[in-house]
Amino acid sequence: MDVYEVFRRSGHKDPFEHCGSVIASDSEMALLMAKECFLRRREGQHLWVARRTDIHSFKDESLLEIAADKSYRFPEAYRDVVAKREKARARAREVGAAAGESNR
Amino acid sequence: MTYEAKLGGFADHIAQGGKVEAEDWMPDDYRRGVLKFIEMHANSEIMGALPERECLPMAPTLRRKMSLAAKIQDEVGHAQLLYRVAEDLGKSRDAMYQDLVNGRSKFHNVFHYPVFHWGDVAIIGWLIDGAALVTQAALLDSSYAPYTRVLKRICSEEQLHLRHGEHITMELASGTQAQRDMFQDALNRWWLPIIHFFGPKSNVAKDLLLRWKVKTRTNEDLRQEFLDRYVPKVLELGFSFPTPVPTRAESGQWLIKDEDIDWDPLDAIKRNEGPETERRLTTRRDIYQGHRWVREVLAEPAVHAA
Ligand SMILES: [Fe+2]
Ligand SMILES: [Fe+2]
Repeated sequence: MDVYEVFRRSGHKDPFEHCGSVIASDSEMALLMAKECFLRRREGQHLWVARRTDIHSFKDESLLEIAADKSYRFPEAYRDVVAKREKARARAREVGAAAGESNR
Repeated sequence: MTYEAKLGGFADHIAQGGKVEAEDWMPDDYRRGVLKFIEMHANSEIMGALPERECLPMAPTLRRKMSLAAKIQDEVGHAQLLYRVAEDLGKSRDAMYQDLVNGRSKFHNVFHYPVFHWGDVAIIGWLIDGAALVTQAALLDSSYAPYTRVLKRICSEEQLHLRHGEHITMELASGTQAQRDMFQDALNRWWLPIIHFFGPKSNVAKDLLLRWKVKTRTNEDLRQEFLDRYVPKVLELGFSFPTPVPTRAESGQWLIKDEDIDWDPLDAIKRNEGPETERRLTTRRDIYQGHRWVREVLAEPAVHAA
């Protein structure tokens, strides 16, 4: 008997999500068990089972941490866009006035 | 890292509201405590199926029989989910079943009592599932994360059970005198066990499960929430409470005096000497043995695939 992890997709908008595990002798039986445990009230439209030993993960979770400063990957890094926009508008007025003059 | 350093780190993690996964390092007493707690919860779900199973032939209509059977299946399903979580803490399901049927592990006090008529189904479905929902909802924030994930599913089904129980209660309460008497009779027998269900006052200093935030609220706190929520609902239907009678405090809370609670029946149950303990355990043991062939067939990989 093996532990099978169970994944369920509730519709087409969201991806499969882990919802628990069952114990079974093979994948077919695991699917049957999973259906009885996790799909009694149409909570989903599709089920996956995968043997727990076939799922791979990081042994050392610290490896999941971001190694260096990569703040530029996050929206917060661009919050000063508001101040910059103000500055740009002011600069445009400056340049616009100059351009207007030279056009004349 | 030394054990003391690991323990210190774990304690800090918990104190800051951190969660624990099955594969994380945890102190032995945390693992043991969580395992025992979840095992007891699982035992209660599967033993809780028995009294309601005894009520199936009493169902007044086919629809009531079908809906009660579905509820019983949910309770057995809850046990399956919980045993699975407990197994990942290091005890096999077979060992847990063995301990249960041989009286070496515990299950909730309310499932040690007999059932007599359809009024019992109303009380179990409404007030006992209601009490269970108060305690289980409080555990949704437990420090042991795999437990909280299955509790989410369990609680949503318990909500439905509550509706189911309330529906039956309202049918009896709005019916004939004989139907109302059934509910009152059941309430008279179940009220003290329901109060016991929450347990005696928590010993906050000594309770390891509270310290590790496996449990997040004290027994008396949960009991108070239950009383404030359900006592007015029962009174409004014109039923009355036996001892321990709840009284309304100036604060609006419904209080029960500690000296009004007779704890002897609960102590007897803890020694496995409840009114139905022996018979229910025998039933569970017979089912366990009678279904051995099913487990053995299921353990054979894909005979049919050949
Ligand atoms: Fe349940
Ligand atoms: Fe329930």
